[in-house]
Amino acid sequence: MPERSRDRDPDEKLGSAFDRGLVARLWQAARPHRALIAGSTLLFPLIAAAELAQPYLLKIAIDEHILRADWLGLTWVAGLYAGVLALLYALRWLEAYLMQLTGQLVIHDLRAQSFGRLLGLEAAFFDRNPVGRLMTRVLNDTEAVSEAFTSGLFAVVADVVTLTGVVAVMLWIDWRLALVTFSIVPVLFVVAAYFRLRARDAYRRVRQRLAHLNAVLQESLQGMTVIQLFARERHEYAGFRRANAEYRRALFGSTLYEVLLYASVEGLGSIALALLLWYGGSEIVAGALSFGALVAFIQYTNRFFLPIRDLGAKYTVMQAAMASAERIFGLLDQAPAIASPAGAASRAGVRRHASPVEFASVWFAYEGDDWVLRDCAFRVAPGERVALVGATGEGKSTCARLLNRAYDVARGRVLVDGVDVRAWDLANLRRHVGIVFQDALLFTGTIEENLRLHADGALSAAELGRAVETARAAGFVAALPQGLGQVLTERGGNVSHGQRQLLAIARALVYNPAVLVLDEATSSVDPESEALIRQAMAGLLKDRTSITIAHRLSTVQNADRILVLHRGRIHEEGSHADLLKLGGLYARLWELGTGSPPA
Amino acid sequence: MRYRGRYALGVLCLAAATLASLAIPFTVQRAIDALRADATAARLGSYVGVIVLLAAANGVARLGSRFTIIGGAQRLEYDLRNDLYASLQTLPPRFYAKNPTGELMSRASSDVAAVRSLVGFGAVSLVGTVFAFAGALVAMLAADPWLTLWALAPYPALVLLAKRFNAVVNQRAQATQEQLGVLSARVQEYIAGMSVVRAYTLEPRASADFARANREYLRRSLALARTQASFAPLMGLIAGVGTLVLLWAGGKAVVDGRLSLGALVAFNGYLAYLTWPTIALGWTLSIVRRGLTSFERIDEIIRGAQVDPVAASPGPARQDGRPLSVRFADLTFAFEGRAPALRSVSFEVAAGETVAIVGPTGAGKSTLGLLLARLWEPPPGTVFVGERDVTELALADLRARLGYVPQEGFLFSRSLQDNVALGREEVDEPRVRAAAATAGVAEEIERFPAGYATVVGERGLTLSGGQRQRVALARALVTAPPILVLDDAFASVDAAKEEEIAAGLRRFVAGRTVLLMTHRLRAAQVADRVIVLAEGRVVEAGRHAELLHAGGLYARLWRIQQLEEEIARA
Repeated sequence: MPERSRDRDPDEKLGSAFDRGLVARLWQAARPHRALIAGSTLLFPLIAAAELAQPYLLKIAIDEHILRADWLGLTWVAGLYAGVLALLYALRWLEAYLMQLTGQLVIHDLRAQSFGRLLGLEAAFFDRNPVGRLMTRVLNDTEAVSEAFTSGLFAVVADVVTLTGVVAVMLWIDWRLALVTFSIVPVLFVVAAYFRLRARDAYRRVRQRLAHLNAVLQESLQGMTVIQLFARERHEYAGFRRANAEYRRALFGSTLYEVLLYASVEGLGSIALALLLWYGGSEIVAGALSFGALVAFIQYTNRFFLPIRDLGAKYTVMQAAMASAERIFGLLDQAPAIASPAGAASRAGVRRHASPVEFASVWFAYEGDDWVLRDCAFRVAPGERVALVGATGEGKSTCARLLNRAYDVARGRVLVDGVDVRAWDLANLRRHVGIVFQDALLFTGTIEENLRLHADGALSAAELGRAVETARAAGFVAALPQGLGQVLTERGGNVSHGQRQLLAIARALVYNPAVLVLDEATSSVDPESEALIRQAMAGLLKDRTSITIAHRLSTVQNADRILVLHRGRIHEEGSHADLLKLGGLYARLWELGTGSPPA
Repeated sequence: MRYRGRYALGVLCLAAATLASLAIPFTVQRAIDALRADATAARLGSYVGVIVLLAAANGVARLGSRFTIIGGAQRLEYDLRNDLYASLQTLPPRFYAKNPTGELMSRASSDVAAVRSLVGFGAVSLVGTVFAFAGALVAMLAADPWLTLWALAPYPALVLLAKRFNAVVNQRAQATQEQLGVLSARVQEYIAGMSVVRAYTLEPRASADFARANREYLRRSLALARTQASFAPLMGLIAGVGTLVLLWAGGKAVVDGRLSLGALVAFNGYLAYLTWPTIALGWTLSIVRRGLTSFERIDEIIRGAQVDPVAASPGPARQDGRPLSVRFADLTFAFEGRAPALRSVSFEVAAGETVAIVGPTGAGKSTLGLLLARLWEPPPGTVFVGERDVTELALADLRARLGYVPQEGFLFSRSLQDNVALGREEVDEPRVRAAAATAGVAEEIERFPAGYATVVGERGLTLSGGQRQRVALARALVTAPPILVLDDAFASVDAAKEEEIAAGLRRFVAGRTVLLMTHRLRAAQVADRVIVLAEGRVVEAGRHAELLHAGGLYARLWRIQQLEEEIARA
């Protein structure tokens, strides 16, 4: 196929982390699991309460019991503390698990939906989007979206609830001390935000430099032969070193900010502690505060600072997640360009009878004005066996794709059974028209699974056996250790190329379409396989309307009629003998194929 | 270890940081006790001051340790990447045939990253953990040995718990990764086979298949989640248990007058200090393990660097521009594990002669070029350049005398000027232009927006296959090497272009030794003689007219090309 222009991959642009529209759609995605979300939301206050209880118990322990030398009472409080610990462990575990559960369920749903959407999209979409990108969508972007829930939304809500609780308790115990502690907060916020921003920019630079470094390496690996041939090793090495050094500098920069961030946060934490001690200490001196309260306060302060520090990090996670969400929803919103027309008549019963096929003034281009078919017109009568030949492979295979509406024509019409293919119900059309492709693509699974195409199980073992027989595949299948149950490995492996072609023919026989397009494989196989394939094809083409895109001379000779496709239109047509006598394009192609001039 | 000094400094800093941070609870202890003893605000200020100083010292020391160690790790990474690259440059195509680019790339990125983690963050974590345990232990023992015993009693159990946790997490994480691989393979297969899915209305089948794999992934990741959910609670538990023990046993100690309240609070601080290292131990160890494995894989490549044993031998006299002869003598060669690509090939190309090597695809034409340039090693005594066995020449010398244009015209993502010059100092702009003109690509380049400065490749202009090949041709021509080997340089070119290039070449090849591998016979007419190769053997040799007259393979191939041209013209 000619080089196609690819859709631009949405850049690594980071929008707002809380884009309204996206958040709404995320909520849509999570709705089916709202019970779970509600459940875990209920847990937050419970957990917060338990967490807040711990330091408070400490306070009581110190003030009421230790300082009063009441060891028995202390033991009771210790017991209570242990109970809270156990409860907290269980609750926290439950919350974390519920969060993950929700996240994973969302991923599962999104993956199923995006894959399902892909199955419905037309061939042109796949031309524009490389396989790698689509896989990233289905596999990675979905995970990132779930992160938006677990590390993002949930965590933020949890933090907010905890924070509120802590603030409340601190104010209640000693509001003056609380305010002293809170005075640090604005400073912490500003400092953390500043370093975080610089760190984020630094990370982006690091990613860019790393991508560049990897690109240099990849290119060097691919072009290593050229580098070695021209003895450019030292020159290229110098180039690599430069890129490497740039990367290292960027890396160091990001480390700098990261380290400064943590150092400043920790430092501020210590300052807060010092402030506490100073102010709290003087209150104790003045008798306005108990020791236990001070100790409790110190503990609360820790629980206070943690969420604030992490809030910024969560924002970054949300941003990345939103970017992924945008891409996923973009895919889900993709409307198939080729679909069944509304209210298309179901022609389920019509499958068995051989139909006529017509191409009427068809113009088609994969891209822009690069016409592959120009005013191509021909007819195939019901049950007729036609061979399509031509110098270039492009136009011929395209005819197959237009017949089953993998692509739609730009101008003109393609008619099957007298009806424009665009008026057919799509699934029915594709049951009616079958294609055997050039590369006998089989899926991972057993031979039987590959042949038994539809889950309806309407195919009896006898019918399956007959198909395998007719396809001349019975011989080698029987020789396989597991016969029909033999698992085929991806793209090759345990079955030879010629044998795969036979299996592809068997598959088409099972499918039993009324119209068949047989796009012959171009690669040659050994003579024995060649003979088997020839016989198998003869069996396949019986009682059907067929168009064979021919490379094998035997097929061409036995066709009822031959169409010569050249520069997008039918150049010559007729029987083999007639065309040879004509001495035109076909005659030359024949000579080219057989290596000897026509007698 | 190149960065010993840095690392030593870093370790020192970590020690200092540990000391400083452990000193804080100690000071708090003193402060609280002082308060209890004599409740005046007087000395409180000084204690607070000390704490602030200690915090600052801790911060600075930690910063220092990070900068030195992580900075050191980054330098190590830099060196490692450079060494890896340098070694890769010395490896022959045989290596690259066995190791696909994708795999090498992943080694270069993920393995290098793992090593960096090891010597960077991993080192900090490991050393820090050791110091933390040691320091906290000392501090606690100094305060109250009995309490220390009580406090540490649950620890072995907790450490084991953490280890078990890590082990289960790893195992389940691996199972999840595996299933992701399966799911990924499914998706890839169906997307790649969409045309079949479409044609055979296999959508429901594909959906069901996917759903199965998807469900299994869900199951496994939930199993992982069940375990992972324990992480934070576990940390809390460990900290909590410590506090609990302190509260109860320590409280008793205070009640009994053995321990001061301040000491109790300090103890709590020491114990809290141990929470993170305990959990992190397992994780740190896994970083160490992974880092070591990765290092081995990289080292394997670095140590495998090929050194050219013939580096210092004198080649044919310095480039004096005189053409050299080429001779193949009874050359039989097979690629590893395959049938011989060349069988008993013998022929000679005199100095200054142009010989075309033609034959059907797979006849072995390219192999000749590969062996001549010693990209693959020919057996000794079979390939001669200027009457010297190529296996006895230094690679650099051999390749300096050879201008080789391989089959796929590979261009770098750089300007056309850079692609042709490839950083060779003696190649200046005029020479680049001249070479481009001979290669038949100068006109097109001049029509590009930036001319020779146009960047091509991934980030730039995408050239057609034919254009790429001609630029590659210019690249070989530009230093006017004494021997020119053109492997299929006209494959993507139509007949008219072929004529043009052939004309240019005719001018150029005068007085040069040229081997022209092609199956386009019109270009072969440029040659003085033609060698016809089929299935690795020389089947015909002679001049164009003679071969046509002989009516053998060459004549047949000629007729086929004629037909193709007629068809194309129709």
